[in-house]
Amino acid sequence: MTDQIAQDSTDAGVITEILEKNPELQGIGNYEYGWSDKNDAGANARRGINEDVVRNISELKSEPQWMLDMRLKGLKYFDRKPMPTWGADLSGIDFDNIKYFVRSTEKQATSWEDLPDDIKNTYDKLGIPEAEKQRLVSGVAAQYESEVVYHQLREDLEKQGVIFLDTDTALKEHEDIFKEYFGTIIPVGDNKFASLNTATWSGGSFVYVPKGVHVDIPLQAYFRINTENMGQFERTLIIADEDSYVHYIEGCTAPIYTSDSLHSAVVEIIVKKGARVRYTTIQNWSNNVYNLVTKRAVCEEGATMEWVDGNIGSKVTMKYPAVYLVGEHAKGETLSIAFAGAGQHQDTGSKMVHIAPNTSSKIVSKSVARNGGRSAYRGLVQVREGAKGARNSVECDALLVDQISRSDTYPYIDVREDDVTMGHEATVSRVSEEQLFYLMSRGMTEEEAMGMIVRGFVEPIARELPMEYAMELNRLIELQMEGSVG
Amino acid sequence: MTDTATHTTGEKARIGAPSISGFTEEGENLSPMNEAASPIGGAASKAHSHGGGAGIPDSSRAGRLTSYNVDDFPVLTGREEDFRFTPLKRMGGLHKNELVGVAPELVVTDANVSTLETVAMTDARVGSAGTPEDRISANAWKHAAEAKVVTIPANSTGEQVTLTYTGTSTEAAASHLVLIAEANSESVVVIDHVGSAVLAQNIEIDVREGAKLTVISLQAWDEHAIHAASHLAKVGKAAHLKHIAVTYGGDLVRLTPSAHFEGEGGEVELFGLYFADAGQHLEHRLFVDHATENCKSNVLYKGALQGKDAHTVWVGDVLIRKEAKGTNSYEANRNLVLTEGARADSVPNLEIETGLIDGAGHASTTGRFDDEHLFYLMSRGIDEKTARRLVVRGFLNEIVQQIRVPEIEERLAETIERELAATDS
Repeated sequence: MTDQIAQDSTDAGVITEILEKNPELQGIGNYEYGWSDKNDAGANARRGINEDVVRNISELKSEPQWMLDMRLKGLKYFDRKPMPTWGADLSGIDFDNIKYFVRSTEKQATSWEDLPDDIKNTYDKLGIPEAEKQRLVSGVAAQYESEVVYHQLREDLEKQGVIFLDTDTALKEHEDIFKEYFGTIIPVGDNKFASLNTATWSGGSFVYVPKGVHVDIPLQAYFRINTENMGQFERTLIIADEDSYVHYIEGCTAPIYTSDSLHSAVVEIIVKKGARVRYTTIQNWSNNVYNLVTKRAVCEEGATMEWVDGNIGSKVTMKYPAVYLVGEHAKGETLSIAFAGAGQHQDTGSKMVHIAPNTSSKIVSKSVARNGGRSAYRGLVQVREGAKGARNSVECDALLVDQISRSDTYPYIDVREDDVTMGHEATVSRVSEEQLFYLMSRGMTEEEAMGMIVRGFVEPIARELPMEYAMELNRLIELQMEGSVG
Repeated sequence: MTDTATHTTGEKARIGAPSISGFTEEGENLSPMNEAASPIGGAASKAHSHGGGAGIPDSSRAGRLTSYNVDDFPVLTGREEDFRFTPLKRMGGLHKNELVGVAPELVVTDANVSTLETVAMTDARVGSAGTPEDRISANAWKHAAEAKVVTIPANSTGEQVTLTYTGTSTEAAASHLVLIAEANSESVVVIDHVGSAVLAQNIEIDVREGAKLTVISLQAWDEHAIHAASHLAKVGKAAHLKHIAVTYGGDLVRLTPSAHFEGEGGEVELFGLYFADAGQHLEHRLFVDHATENCKSNVLYKGALQGKDAHTVWVGDVLIRKEAKGTNSYEANRNLVLTEGARADSVPNLEIETGLIDGAGHASTTGRFDDEHLFYLMSRGIDEKTARRLVVRGFLNEIVQQIRVPEIEERLAETIERELAATDS
């Protein structure tokens, strides 16, 4: 223990020294989305969870009886299910202190001007209206606290029958299709946090892409927690009908508070025959958010599901996007990238389940741990009986930048069929003196060199992102890496 | 609208009904093996199904309980992380019963300089190299009537001794062996297990400073044997342990070798070869604990499976603790599934608490015959049957050639031939 303390203080010393010599660095590397708005609704919201809270949410939304029944069932499972005993330390979550539902505005806006000023300012600062103006996205949804406050979809897509709505409105306007799929991929009692989400869900996106329609520019959703101790439980349901294509991108931020918030989303995706869905997340929650998310897709014959999962923020993230390959020649892919800095634990990975013959899956995971952070790859690849000719490969690489950080790999492979090909490879390396020396001898500072090595390390994933996201990722990496030399 | 009532019932059942086969309202249960054995059963027994990652290990291997006292370990339900693949019903009671049967007899041959002693379990050397890491091991510790101690004297070279355990009983029994390689000795110890047995066994391996020890443990039991063995190794400063597990006999074998480094510059090589036939359950769970600086570990296990319900489990835990700077570690497991109906589970876990390592990695592959290899050989005029054998032999040979004891290499070559002949018929 003494070693560690000595190490910590040396690190702190080096950082102070760097800052003294380079005053301009002060402030850089701080979480820049950490401000919060004044919000009476949030301040007055009720804490804790029980049947009344759940009934109240359902009533406020004027939901049909079956949804209330489902919520109550979710609550029952939530009470009964144990906390996970593996993964990250979740003992800091106080379910009684969390605000489960915060309504920030009565009306959903379709133009930014219609939003209340403080909320509009938030999104201006985050640059969302600008992206929409520049037509970088086909549709935008912005969720503030529990509900989606802004929604817009390009007209031509609407004409082709694409549905892109917040989940609450979708339940009202498309109950039939909603009912057909809701909770079928992630059942009500799947795990404690999925049950909690089922009981308290609010907001999220509902996407339906009709047969053969290609949505060429991404749909974007933006999630923001503003209130302290807020619990955000958005629920997303995406249905890509036969031979369609859609790319959905979500981003997340929250203010910095002294006590913790909880984000526990459920995302269900149905990829029908020959369709393709790509789901990109750039999660940059502040360092007091527990991010415990269940994401799962099911792929029919010849369909493709791609998860691009970037985890940069949060205090604790436990997230393992899954693909169930139920149709022949279905394909699943996960590209996962995680940064764990001081006080962060990123427990991420993926799950691929081969149920039909000739299905293939691939997982590429890259993680960087620094400044005492902890990153883990946790994955499961299962080949069920009958999934002949299944192919899978898992690659996970971890980069350790200093001596106080930690990296773990827990890959599970479960094969119940002989006619398969599976592979798993992992490497853990640290930034070597030689690499640094080489770059510095070319005139780079140590920090620049370190940044370049890390960017090079994550490049295979960064290049899968839309350009503006790749740039954002690079910028975030630079911020993350500030002060890491020592 | 006369059918409204029935329609509603049908619809109610359908809402939220899982659309993925194998799912219930509570997600899936990925480890159905021990479900029936669970004392609670029903929904509660699925409490460990965590949806996003069913049955995934405890936070860290570092936190795993070790104790000499069996009562410190909770009664096994089969839902524990380290037993979730083990069919407890087939364990012959080794995990819960009094182990009072007759233990297999130990005969030592070819001893040159090494000595064999029979001592009480209270002898100071018992427990000097390891502490039980699971309940079966602790149960064996409790019930072992005596311990055998084999000592290879300091500075001796060239010793090659064979310890043969011959079992004749089918009553649950316990046995204990302490293997001490004194400082700077160089030796090879073959531990052979034959006959019939229901045995829980602890083997402590104490490799002292500068010693070089090769341990070859053969699990060559008759077909109904049940064997749970813990090999607990302590590797001293600049010492070298090469441990080779060869398992093909018995109905159920669960072997858990664990290696702990006690001084700088130690090196451990863990090799393994297993061949599972119809109905056999062969499980190997390894643990390499890097707790000191500048140590090296290398793990390679290879297995072949054939026949209905042949099941192999390989779990390799490597833990590099904060203080283990300069560690170099690699582990790999490769499985070759020869026929339908066999199942291979392979889990390489790697935990690293320091960035100051030399390198670490792991790999796991499970596949069937490489058709290209077969095609290549057949295009050279070799018939398919022979070609298949060549491929399997080549695959397993990487481990066989590590043994370097000619008699055993020959015996294994014959065993592999015999196993493969069984496939052909």
